[in-house]
Amino acid sequence: MPLLRFVVVTGLTSAVEVRGITKWFGETTALDAVDLTVGPGEVHGLLGPNGAGKTTLLSAMFGLVLPDEGTLRLFGRSRAEAGAAWLDGVAGFVETPRFYPYLNGRRNLAVLAGLDGEDAASLIDDALERVGLAGPAARRKVRGYSLGMRQRLGLAAAMLRRPRLLILDEPANGMDPVGIRDLRAALRRAARDGVTVILSSHDMAQIEEICDSATILSAGRVVAAGRLDALRAAAPDPVWRMRTSDDTKALAIAAPLDTVKAASHDGGGMVVHAAQDEMDGYVLSLAAAGIAVRGLELDRTPLEALFFQLTAAQTAKAAKLPEPGAPAEVTP
Amino acid sequence: MSLAADRWPAYAEREAAVRKPAGGTLVVWRVELMKLAGKILVRGMTVLAVIGPFMVVEFLNLQSATPGDTPFGQWVHTSGFAIPMTILGFGAQWILPAITAVVAGDIYSADDHFGTWKTILTRSRSRGELFAGKFLAAVTFAVFMLLLLTVTDLIAGLLPGREPVVGLGGQLVPAGHATWLVLASYLSDLPPLLGFTALAVLLSVASRNSVVGIGGTVAIAVLFQIVTLANMPEWGQQALLSTPFMAWHGFWTAPAFYGPFLWGLVTCGAWFAVCGLAAWLVFRRRTIGAAS
Amino acid sequence: MRTARTTVLAAAAAALALLATGCSNSSNLTPGRLQASLGSTFANLYMLQQSEMGNPPVRTASLHSDASCQKGGTVTVPQEGSGVWLCEITYLPAGPQYPVIAKYNVDVQTDGCYAADGDGPASVNGSPTITGPGYKQIINPLSLIDGCFDTT
Repeated sequence: MPLLRFVVVTGLTSAVEVRGITKWFGETTALDAVDLTVGPGEVHGLLGPNGAGKTTLLSAMFGLVLPDEGTLRLFGRSRAEAGAAWLDGVAGFVETPRFYPYLNGRRNLAVLAGLDGEDAASLIDDALERVGLAGPAARRKVRGYSLGMRQRLGLAAAMLRRPRLLILDEPANGMDPVGIRDLRAALRRAARDGVTVILSSHDMAQIEEICDSATILSAGRVVAAGRLDALRAAAPDPVWRMRTSDDTKALAIAAPLDTVKAASHDGGGMVVHAAQDEMDGYVLSLAAAGIAVRGLELDRTPLEALFFQLTAAQTAKAAKLPEPGAPAEVTP
Repeated sequence: MSLAADRWPAYAEREAAVRKPAGGTLVVWRVELMKLAGKILVRGMTVLAVIGPFMVVEFLNLQSATPGDTPFGQWVHTSGFAIPMTILGFGAQWILPAITAVVAGDIYSADDHFGTWKTILTRSRSRGELFAGKFLAAVTFAVFMLLLLTVTDLIAGLLPGREPVVGLGGQLVPAGHATWLVLASYLSDLPPLLGFTALAVLLSVASRNSVVGIGGTVAIAVLFQIVTLANMPEWGQQALLSTPFMAWHGFWTAPAFYGPFLWGLVTCGAWFAVCGLAAWLVFRRRTIGAAS
Repeated sequence: MRTARTTVLAAAAAALALLATGCSNSSNLTPGRLQASLGSTFANLYMLQQSEMGNPPVRTASLHSDASCQKGGTVTVPQEGSGVWLCEITYLPAGPQYPVIAKYNVDVQTDGCYAADGDGPASVNGSPTITGPGYKQIINPLSLIDGCFDTT
């Protein structure tokens, strides 16, 4: 009679350990000596502009792409060591999840549960219920599914594997705001239950809402990595959009201040680079000078600013713009 | 959506001994057969294999003339045994490759078409198990169809009667022996059929395209038909995968000869091994999905 | 990937080499093989024809059927390979003093099977049907002979 033991998370083995992973596709270097470590129970964001190598790296974790150099360990085992058990407890998807369009949602899950063996089939009903695809939706052929429904079916498919590591490639893609909110809550819940989560995005704001730590990729290289608060400490000032009753005078007041950098914006109003405290002081001094603040909003968080600064070179190259000065490497 | 409401299903570490590698391939095999059983094309071909031979017999009965171009053709109105043999002689070398190509030429490339490789490769089965399981399912289908056609062709032919048939050595073959020879003739087409299965798999895996997998296999079968008409050294004839489809000729002569059948085993084994191995080597380290 | 390709090509070449050494290097569609097959097939079919016509049984051994085949007719062509052959079968239905010659146009295929179309005498293989028991018209087994010989 086979025994099932519940694993105790000791935190000694990292969930994902990537060392020096390199992958070429002909002339292009998709990944260049990438290092990444994710501890168990962490929610880790993988950030980068399109083409940075996020999908390639996640594909490598799944064994869909075989790296040319470097090692990749999941829960302390490499693919060669683990053999068929490589993806034990690992679930998720790369790019939009794909299913057999001529089968309905439930049958697709049955096929995947069949490949998993064990007791996966018994979880199908529960999984469909929790992603909101129970009932008629489950009986509809997948070729009639919207993008959001496919994403949800992908999450259901992941749930069947009782994951201790969830790897999700842009999971909010194609979802409506309600779906995104639900997804965030679900991933937070999963993390509370001890599941390690890696999710990729090209949007720092999404990552900030849910992740504990992040790795930023640009053109196949890691340009920043670490806990979010550590990254914030090393990040440039946030960026604000502001409208006042007298922009010209407001700019003049900001000119001698070196902690507040203000400039007028082409689209009207002003753009101000300043930390929260400095911004507070600036607004107060504007009021003292008789200038009313008509509109003030955070345009870019410190981390977003950091992200753009670090990935500007790759983005500029893609858009064929002149590159700004070399970005600073930040590894706290 | 109540995704956040309850605990996620808890991960449970399994004893290493529970996982048996051999079981893995058979699991995939079963899943693939399940998927095949649901395909309309597969069901349609099964129905056709059951009723087709009876339709052929009916068609032959309505004609006063007899098929002239195949061995046994002239005897179709005289002996029921001539009917399955005429069908085999006339159609084996292009019908059988087409039958196996429909499944074997699609079973891999369908996942490329649907983009589902990344879905099934990220479950608990390795690339090797998935490859072998699908291969086994394609072979199972080919064997199933050949056995089905053997039975239905024989029954359809013998319904009218079981008169002895004239063999290819001019001898009169009595009903009992003739039954064995018909069964042996049909089963002797299994090796070349499996050779074409492996060829279809190779085309399917290499091109990632079902049109190439299916159409390409049929096209190659037709090409063999054309090439075999040329006068070439015997080893050239024996190297063609279509030649062993006719090895049963030697079963029906007096005395019987088995040279082409035995050489056919070598040829089919070689085609099967080379195509199967090549397909695996292409597949095992291939990058799945678009890289970005 | 390169070693994989080399392995497969090497395996394919080895298989072809095996076949090449095993089989002969030329076509085995020779007059000798055709004549042997046609001769013995004719003898068996003659026996069948005689029994279907209700005549007394004949032993194939006493028939001494002997085929002689040539390809091309008046034009000189290589005497081997597929195509149309002209064959004459000499046999002794009524003893050695009275040989009968049956003529056939034989279409030989590359797989060693042939269809021999009777070309005379009329009483032997000229007519597609013969009269069987009960005055029923049945197929004349000697009119069209389907046979095969070993090409390996």
